[in-house]
Amino acid sequence: MKMYNQNELGMKEEVFSGSKPKHNAKKKIVLPVMLAVLVLVLILATAIGAVYIPFGQTARIILKNIGLLKNATFQEGHEEIIFYVRFPGVLVAALVGAGLATSGAVMQGMFRNPMADPGILGVSSGAGLGAVIAIALGLNSKSMLILPSFAAIGALAASYTVFRLSKRGGRIPVLTLVLSGIAVSMFLGAMTSIVLTTIHGDQIKEYLFWTTGGLTARRWEHVLMAVIPITACIAILLAYSRDLNILLLGEEEAQAVGLNSTKTRKILLVLTSITTAAAVSVSGNISFVGLIVPHIMRLIIGPDHRILLPVSAVGGSIFLVVCDLIARIIPNPRGIGVGIITSVIGAPYFLFLLIRTRKGEDAI
Amino acid sequence: MTTGHKDYAVVIKNLDYSIDDVKILKDINLCVGRGEFVGLIGPNGAGKTTLLKCIGGIYSYNSGEIYVNHLNIKHTDCKKVAREVSLMHQNTHITFPFPAIDVVLTGRYPYLKRFETESSEDYRIARKYMSYTDTLKFESKPVTNMSGGERQRVLFAKVLTQETDLILLDEPTASLDISHEEQIFKYCNELVANGKTAIVAVHDLKLASRYCSRLVLMKDGEIISDGSVEEVLTPENLSVAYGVRAVVYKNRITGLLDFYTHKLEHGKSRKKIHVIGGGGSASGIIRQLFEYGHEVSTGVLFPGDSDLQCADVFGIKTVVSEPFNGISEQYFNKNVEYIKDADLTVLCNMPFGIQNIKNLEAASFAKNLVIIEDDPPMSRDYTCGQALKIYEKLAQKAIITTSAKLHEVI
Repeated sequence: MKMYNQNELGMKEEVFSGSKPKHNAKKKIVLPVMLAVLVLVLILATAIGAVYIPFGQTARIILKNIGLLKNATFQEGHEEIIFYVRFPGVLVAALVGAGLATSGAVMQGMFRNPMADPGILGVSSGAGLGAVIAIALGLNSKSMLILPSFAAIGALAASYTVFRLSKRGGRIPVLTLVLSGIAVSMFLGAMTSIVLTTIHGDQIKEYLFWTTGGLTARRWEHVLMAVIPITACIAILLAYSRDLNILLLGEEEAQAVGLNSTKTRKILLVLTSITTAAAVSVSGNISFVGLIVPHIMRLIIGPDHRILLPVSAVGGSIFLVVCDLIARIIPNPRGIGVGIITSVIGAPYFLFLLIRTRKGEDAI
Repeated sequence: MTTGHKDYAVVIKNLDYSIDDVKILKDINLCVGRGEFVGLIGPNGAGKTTLLKCIGGIYSYNSGEIYVNHLNIKHTDCKKVAREVSLMHQNTHITFPFPAIDVVLTGRYPYLKRFETESSEDYRIARKYMSYTDTLKFESKPVTNMSGGERQRVLFAKVLTQETDLILLDEPTASLDISHEEQIFKYCNELVANGKTAIVAVHDLKLASRYCSRLVLMKDGEIISDGSVEEVLTPENLSVAYGVRAVVYKNRITGLLDFYTHKLEHGKSRKKIHVIGGGGSASGIIRQLFEYGHEVSTGVLFPGDSDLQCADVFGIKTVVSEPFNGISEQYFNKNVEYIKDADLTVLCNMPFGIQNIKNLEAASFAKNLVIIEDDPPMSRDYTCGQALKIYEKLAQKAIITTSAKLHEVI
């Protein structure tokens, strides 16, 4: 049907190169390098602890226990410490970091707002309220799955409410979305406080542990609980990276090339809510990972989500594993929640971004 | 779904669009044939952008139907619509630093499946149109570092990369300088010559009249005129749509259609004013008086005088003599008749010769006479003092001023 060729357009009959531009090729090296760094950091974080177990030995213990290395014997107790005490905690940190950073990158893209993250949409507050209700009802001790389920329900309910509130005539303007996110967040925070006034000593301690973000005493059950929703959602989100690129150009621009932006954003919102809820329920509230990791990655490799999303996932893992390591090695009898470390690093960075924006520079 | 309108690229029937009970478009009916280059004109807020967005499938309209290439766009998948129609938005602010070629490649989105990556053919198509719009040289440059004109051309390349039969452009020249402004219209001309159809919302009536094959004039969400350039750009239509007194004429120098518009002002007293001029001295005066809303007449003028053309453009009563003959009794009397009828007569800063000396004599019949004296009368006299004598006599009972201060006198 296209009745049109180069000559008729008055163009020289010239064959244009079909090769991919060089600016993409250079960035492909970033992902393998980061994956290598992640592996090193995972082993290092497992090796370091109250009892130091050498790096090489740690690696061998892990390899043996996942069936890649046979006929190896280790000092008594080391296998248990590495594989059943430390390694699950480190893996949970990696999964949570990947989930939060990917969710953050997706939200920043879908709302075209470099300041967006799971916290802004009330997703984290929703998960928090769900968790507090579970604790207050005393259901938490009955099954390990209760608290995460409540958190997931809370997160989805919050994001759905925000989504409905900001919908105007079939479209969702970014500004109303962010504003209703903040309002719903505040409201859910107040609800959480009300529930907190009704609970007693032990439960408050449990809540406190949960709300400051903790990765201590995470076991293989926690890994299994988080691994399926987080990896599945990240995989689906990766399939949407081209759509995210187009959404970045603007809602109407996206529709002009045939992208149903409302539907796509709904799907993305559900996926990021599930990812966030899964992360939050095994680790408590850990802020700023979703904000600063995608930011730093964008500075390195640019805004293309096809590279940004996988790199952010790996970057989030590295970041949280390192933060968790810092939290563990700071001498403190009660232990410092990893959420405190991420906030201490994240908040100044966030302010730095704000100041840069105010100066009229590009905040991205 | 077929519509029975085989040759139409776009068929719009009874289209209504409203936001929160405010009607933006009211009962729009429009058929655009293949290969037409339609200019959508009208004042701000007339609904031009909204109409384009409805056709492009971006706004979901309340009632009515839009068919693009026989497809009812309301019931067609987004990607399929995007293979038929592309739209370039008016304000495109891109906040993330994508390289130009990545932005252009988004035009291939409707042709790709979810897990498909852009093939080398897609890159070739993108580069072809980037070369066409002269943007290939900065394919790796981030769009955030571009000038408004560069970005606009990148986005135009994107629209072309979508390879649709129907192209919609919303104010494509808004951020372009004059050299690129024309270029976009020339591109469109080439595209429609090759069987594509273009609908362009445009502010600049001169550009619209020069390039478009058809104009559609909108006001308050309705189409008030639709047809050829000459049919649509009439003073009456422009005055209804824009609320201005408008004059449409062929520019003598460029041979192109040109417009003079003046905002309508009400409540001012209208006077009858006669202007005596010639040799180009009356044109500015006539325009000034026209803008004040006075009823102007002029005479006696000779064919070929630019003042006569000006009088034509503003459509005022004029006494015209035969060429090279001086002013005969017949025209002199007619002129005097106009002068006697007028509340005020203006004698322009004109040269005096044997041919027009009778105009000077006629001025003595004026009820009130205003003489414009930008240059001393001596320097304008070509009658060896004969005209000066009459001039001095007239000057005794007249107000003498310069053309810049004429408004103070009136």
